[in-house]
Formats: sequence, C-alpha cells, structure tokens
Amino acid sequence: MTASQAGDGQALYVATSLGDAVAALAARAPHAVPLAGATWIMRAPIRQERDHRAIPYVAIGAIDELRRIDVNDHEIVIGACTTHAEVAARLGGLPDCRGLAAAAGNAANPAIRRIATIGGNLCAVKFAASDFAPALLAAGARVELRSPGGMRKLPIERFLESRSTLIPGSLLVRLVVPRGQMRSAHVRLPLRKAGDYPVAIVSMAAKLARDGIAGEIRIAVGSVEPVARRWPHLEAELTGRKLDADRSHALAAADAGSFSGREAVEAPGWYRLQVLPALVRRAVEILQAQP
Amino acid sequence: MIAMLPKGAAMPIVLNVNGEDRITLSDPLTPLIDVLRDELFLTGAKAVCREGICGACTVMMDDKPVMSCLVPVGIAAGHDIRTAEALSGEGEPSPLQRAMLDHDVVQCGMCFPGMMVTLTDFLEHTPKPTREEVKAALVGNICRCTGYERLIDAVLAFAHRD
Repeated sequence: MTASQAGDGQALYVATSLGDAVAALAARAPHAVPLAGATWIMRAPIRQERDHRAIPYVAIGAIDELRRIDVNDHEIVIGACTTHAEVAARLGGLPDCRGLAAAAGNAANPAIRRIATIGGNLCAVKFAASDFAPALLAAGARVELRSPGGMRKLPIERFLESRSTLIPGSLLVRLVVPRGQMRSAHVRLPLRKAGDYPVAIVSMAAKLARDGIAGEIRIAVGSVEPVARRWPHLEAELTGRKLDADRSHALAAADAGSFSGREAVEAPGWYRLQVLPALVRRAVEILQAQP
Repeated sequence: MIAMLPKGAAMPIVLNVNGEDRITLSDPLTPLIDVLRDELFLTGAKAVCREGICGACTVMMDDKPVMSCLVPVGIAAGHDIRTAEALSGEGEPSPLQRAMLDHDVVQCGMCFPGMMVTLTDFLEHTPKPTREEVKAALVGNICRCTGYERLIDAVLAFAHRD
C-alpha cells in the first residue's frame, strides 16, 4: 500500500488488492473516486469541471485481479482494469467476439487504448461516445460490482442507467459476456477516418439460421443519446425474419426518430439520427458476411 | 528522509526516467509531461492538446508509447519512463532519426519527438510495415504542418532499406 500526499490536499491512494481498494473507497466515502487508466479524469480541467485535485482518488490500475481476461466455452470475464488494447488483442481471434474486439480496437487512438481501461470507460458517466457500452449491450453482458456489503451483479442496461446513483464505494470489478452462436458487428462513424470519437455507433449481435433468419437479435446505439441503449423496436421488426440489408435500412430510417440526438460541438443531434440507417445497413452486411 | 518532512509536506514520488531515479514533490495528479518538462528539463515531449489527441507528449512507459499529458505522475511512480531524449545515444541521432534527417522530413518540430517515440516502438514490433500499417500507427500523432506523406515515405524507405 502506498499513498502520495499532495501537501495539505487529498491523497492519491494506490491500492494493491481488491480488498484494499474497496476498504479505501469506503473509508473515503462519499467523495472517493476510483482511478484506473486516468485518461478521462485527467481531462477534467478541459471539461471545466471542479478542481479534480480536491477529490480523494483511489488508484486501482495495479490490482492484478482487475487486469485479467478469462475465456472459457461459456463466458468471457473481463477485469475492469484491462485496457482497450488488451481486450482487442485477447478477443480478436474469437469468432463470436468480433463486435467487442472492434469496439476495443478502434476506440480513440493507439496510445489511449494502451492505458484507457474498460471499467474506466463505462464509469465515465458523462462520456456519451463510449464504444464499449453499446458493444456490451449487444453482447448481453452483465457487470459485477464490489462494495463493503459484498458482490452485486447487474445487467449492463441497468448499470448504465443507474451508475451515477450507485452506492458510494461501489467498485466495478469485472464484466461477464456470455458466449453463444452469435455473430456480432460494431459499426462507428467518426468525423475522421480514425483517432476520433464517433458521431454514432451501432452494435449488433444476432443468431442467424442457415436460411438467414434472425432467431435472436440485439441492437444497441451509442453516442447518439447521452447514454447508450438498445433499439427494441428495430430488434422486434428484424427478429424471426430473414435478415436483409435494404429492409433493415428502411426500418431504421422509419424509427430513427425514436432517438433524441444529442447536440454537441462536433455534430448536431439531427445528423446523428440521419446516419443511423446507414450504420444499421453496414452492421447487417457485416453479420451476413460472417461464416 | 520522509520522516524529516514537516507536517503537510508533499510526499516524494520516485520516477525512473531514462534509466535514472528522479524525485518530484509534485501533486500526484500532476501530468507526467509537466514534471518531465518543468522539473527535469526534458523538453523533447511537448504539451500541446493536453487531451490525448495530438501525441506530441508521447513517451514510453514500460516499453509502451503513452500520452504523458494524461498520466498522473503519482501513477507513473515505479514505472520505467523513457523520453525522446533517450532515443539518441552519445549525442548521435538514432538510425531512424538519421533517416528522418536524410529525407528532410522535419518541419516545425513540434510533433516530431512524439512521432519518433511512436515510430521507434512501432518499428521494433513491425520491422517491415506496409504504408497502411504506418498510417495506422500514427493515428494518434497529429502534424499541424501536415507533413505526413514525406514522413511515411521516409519510414518505409528506412524499414525496407535492405
């Protein structure tokens, strides 16, 4: 255990185990904040947030238990402090994880992917352009949280909806992704070809029969609204029918208005909705091309 | 030494930079780039965007290129930090740096130390890259002079010189 003390200010506590981190967060509740890769927290001054140096941070990035990725036939367990680059490298060769691998491997830029963690990405409540959030929604993942009261499991949807009101001291420990015969795709539209945040994201996972009929399909949209969410109407329209790119595009265009596009400096809300059908089409074409 | 510090004094943070242990008393959330430049006078890395987009502050941390504007110095403690200054030895440019000079690539120079750190690591792992691979490696290093094509030409000429 080490602690770096900033004069009379707050300490940066560097936790060395999961128990140590949970205890440190509890001891500094309700203001303590976990610090993993720090790429979001270090940009707080640019976002003109209150002086982040007054926040008692608990560094968790060196905890081995949070840095593991375990893969078996039934599920993939991703530690909260694994980096985007590590996830992309580990999942890249798994045929049922193409969507997650694409999300991890295309976010931000290479140097950021080497230090930005998956857990930090999901816990940055104000970060609307997370690639991993819609990818996890499409994958049907759940999260595991640890607090002094014990372990708690939540579907990713509930976590994303409730993360800003979680019990102080709760720590996102790992993500669990079920494995199955799902094809998956992650399609994003950045303003530049790469190295930029996406204007809109469509993540899709589907179980396709030999005749191309979608027996089960999950579609998630990211970066369009402040928080990524599923597209239940489009899922219902596509389930039980042969997956078709033109039909998917038309259905997406007809229902894109069910989203409220967020206004931001890089793109207006209407544009985010405008591009959604094209992203849906691309995602369907990627699924169809997969063996 | 720590026991002698007055109450409320900053806790020393020990960094290993370019093979030497260096001590800073900075706030642990101070960006690594500021300690490198303002305390250790290693001014190769540049603080430009301060949001992890431009890559001008790229340094190696445990053999991985990272944006030092987004690394809190308190987290960098105990890690092996290498800056652009460590690329050359005995005051001589590295072979890659020499190739850049030979191809007259350098323009204003603001992005260049970060470019060299990124490319040195990239070529260690991808010694015979394609043009597309070089472009992908430089996604996080922005050149406001837009000298990309000449830089990529030079990298390819250097990598495929045999």
